[in-house]
Order: sequence, then C-alpha cells, then structure tokens
Amino acid sequence: MQDPRLRLFAAAVLSLAAFASTAGAVAALAWWLFFTPRTKALPRPGVLFSLIAMIAATALLSAWGGGPGLSYLIRMTALLLLATWVYAETEEGEVLGVAVWALGNRVGFEIGLIAEMGLTGLAVIRQEVEQMRVAMALKGIRPGVRSVVPLAVTLIVTQIRRADEIARLLVVRGYTIGGRICPRFEADPLDVLASIMAVIPALLSSLSLRDVFILVG
Amino acid sequence: MRIDLEDLLFSRDSFTLRGSGTFGAGVHLVSGPVGSGKSTLALLLAELLQPGSGAVRRHGVSSALLLLQFPEHHVTCPTVAEEVRSWGLAPEDVLLRADLVGRGDDDPFHLSRGELRRLTLACAVTRNPDLLLLDEPFSSLDCVAKREACRTIEERGAGITIIFSHERAVLPRVDAVWEIEDGALTPRGSVPDAIPLWRHAPPYLAYALREGARPENIRLSDAREALCRIRG
Repeated sequence: MQDPRLRLFAAAVLSLAAFASTAGAVAALAWWLFFTPRTKALPRPGVLFSLIAMIAATALLSAWGGGPGLSYLIRMTALLLLATWVYAETEEGEVLGVAVWALGNRVGFEIGLIAEMGLTGLAVIRQEVEQMRVAMALKGIRPGVRSVVPLAVTLIVTQIRRADEIARLLVVRGYTIGGRICPRFEADPLDVLASIMAVIPALLSSLSLRDVFILVG
Repeated sequence: MRIDLEDLLFSRDSFTLRGSGTFGAGVHLVSGPVGSGKSTLALLLAELLQPGSGAVRRHGVSSALLLLQFPEHHVTCPTVAEEVRSWGLAPEDVLLRADLVGRGDDDPFHLSRGELRRLTLACAVTRNPDLLLLDEPFSSLDCVAKREACRTIEERGAGITIIFSHERAVLPRVDAVWEIEDGALTPRGSVPDAIPLWRHAPPYLAYALREGARPENIRLSDAREALCRIRG
C-alpha cells in the first residue's frame, strides 16, 4: 500500500475486527493474505517464532484454565501479522504526515512527532538487542532466563536516557509546540479497494455470524 | 599459534576488503584511515562476520576476544561490578586495574567513554585469551590513559594481540605492522624492517627516517632514541 493514510486506516479497522471476535480475526487474516506482500513483510523467523510461541503459551494456559485459548491464539496472531506488515511498510516521516493531515500542524504535529520517535525507538531497540547479542557472545554468556533480567534493565535504562537526550536536543533547537509540514500522498487504485475490503472484517466482527450466514443445523 | 587469512574477500554495497597473510604470536598493529575497513577486518577475524570468499583459519587458538570500537556496546549489566562479573571476572582486581576503585555500584553508562574503555580493556586483558582483537583501543583516552593502555598491551606476554587503530601519536611496542589501503590489507612485515615501508607512519617516525635514523620500534621514545644515536 503506497498511501500511508489508507494503510493506517486499514490497519486500525482490521485490528479492531481481529481483537473483537474470532470471525473478525479470520476475516482479517484472509485480508492479510490477499492485500499484503505476506512473507516479505515478516520479521526474521527467529523473532516471529518467538513472538508466536509467547502467544501460543498464553493461549495454552488460557485453554487449560477453561478460557477461549484457540480464539486468543487466532486473534493475537492476526494482530501480530497486521502489526508486522504495517511496521515493515511504514517509511520515515509517513506517520507524521498522516497525523498532520488529520489533525493539523499543532496537535497533529505533536502526535505525529511522538509516533515517529516511538517508531525510531523500535529500530534502535532492535539494533541494541543485536549489539547485546554480540556482547554476550564475546563474553561467552549463553542467552537464558538468568541473562534476560539484566539485559531488559539495561535496555530500558538506555531507552529512558535516549528519550531524555532527544527531549533536551529538541529544547536546544528551540522546539516548543507544533510545526509546519505539507505532506503529499500518492494512492494506488488497489489501495482504495484494499481499504474498502478492510471494512468487511470489521462488519463481520460486529455482527453475529447467524445474521450473516444461514447456518445448517 | 597463528591466524591465516586465505584470499579473504568481504563486500558490502560499494565497500570491498581483501587480504591474505599470517598473524603469528605477538603484537600486530593494523593501521589505516577512518572508514578503511579496520573494524570490518576485526569482526571477520573474530568470526562475527563471514567473508564472501576465502577463509580465516585459526591454528592453536583456543580462545578469542574482540574489544569493540564503542565500549558501550559491551555493556549488558546495570552496574559496573555486575558488568565485570558478566565477563566472568572478580570486580576487585579489574576495578583496580582500570583505576575505577569505588565505582562498582555506578551505572556503566554514567562512566565517561574513556573510563568505560579502561574498564573493557582491563576485562579483556584480565581474561587473557589466546587471540585478543582490539578495535581502536586508544580512542576516547587522554595521553596518560593511552600510555597506560600501551603498557597493559605490552605486558601481555603470550598469545596474538591485534590492534586496529588510526592512532598516530601514542602507540605501544609492536612486532609487526599491517596497513589497510584502498580496500586491501597489506603486510608491511616485522618491526623494525617494516617501519620504512609503513606508508602512513606517524609524523615522528617519518621525521626520524628523513633524518637518517632507524628506530627499533614504533613508539615516540624509539624515534627519540634513534635520533639521539645518530646525533650523538
């Protein structure tokens, strides 16, 4: 999807659908299969499988306790696939552009800037995790439960410090509130079709299946 | 104990690095300007990067350690003492060696880069691996700390030590000099024969050579001694 406005709209609508019901999640998965580059937008297998394993473990616990484990697994997997697709397709400055387009140069710019900094932070975290992996390999530390806590603490402290540095940098550069940009967007006809089709899972999730299909028996 | 580079070739985008040669026991200096590929070669020798073709072969090397260019990239723990323990070492000895006694409870990121450099160097040297790769070990250090780092490297009696550095003022006594130029690693040979062949030698060595002196090694003191010998 070229147009970030339509991409974010589709992602929001599909996420709500996937979160609301299993039927919505299945429909969102079908949409993902039709309208995204699928496997090309996925993260490295190791990252993807560990995320799915965490979801599966929670789903298993839920099912074991009598909860809707399978539904949770389907809904969370759909959300994960949608999130990885949006993250892979979003380019620098697009979220800021959409926020300014939607909410103007004051509130929109603020929200867009925060979102952009958050996205940049994700890329930085990925780099830092990679650096820590190398550091652990050099020290001869095997990744495990014992190494997770100090690593997580170091990562969080580094992120807080980085946020503080960015805030100071914005002050030094004279930033107070808002800004002025003129975003331009290009939309492919297929983008519009995909966005319209994204509404179907949302409708499915808000309606009872019996209202949509004539079920046998 | 030795490391053989066999027609090593590494490429990424427009950058290419190639080289062949053998790193034997002793201290080696790999010099070259910023961006010439020193860090890439260090990662290749540490087997953290794989070459496109050719090979890095280790003979008789049972342990290896790379000190990264940016010391903060080594940090994996929230306090200095825990950081030292994460290297499998006792904090007391290392903090004494790094001149950081009493800083064990500090956040490693509250140390200056120079202090962090001293800490990681002390950890690496105390671990005493067969192969020690030091990527820019003198950056962020003042002259006193650079001399201390040189002394620490010189005191390492055994094994292979390879220093990757563009430092041109304070250098340790070394056994061999290598240069990276235009994407190629070139062995200049053993010191002192390598000194006249070293194209980007520090200014004090170049001056000594111009004056007809023959320094025995690459330190400033070696150039001074050589000049004193010819001038009486």
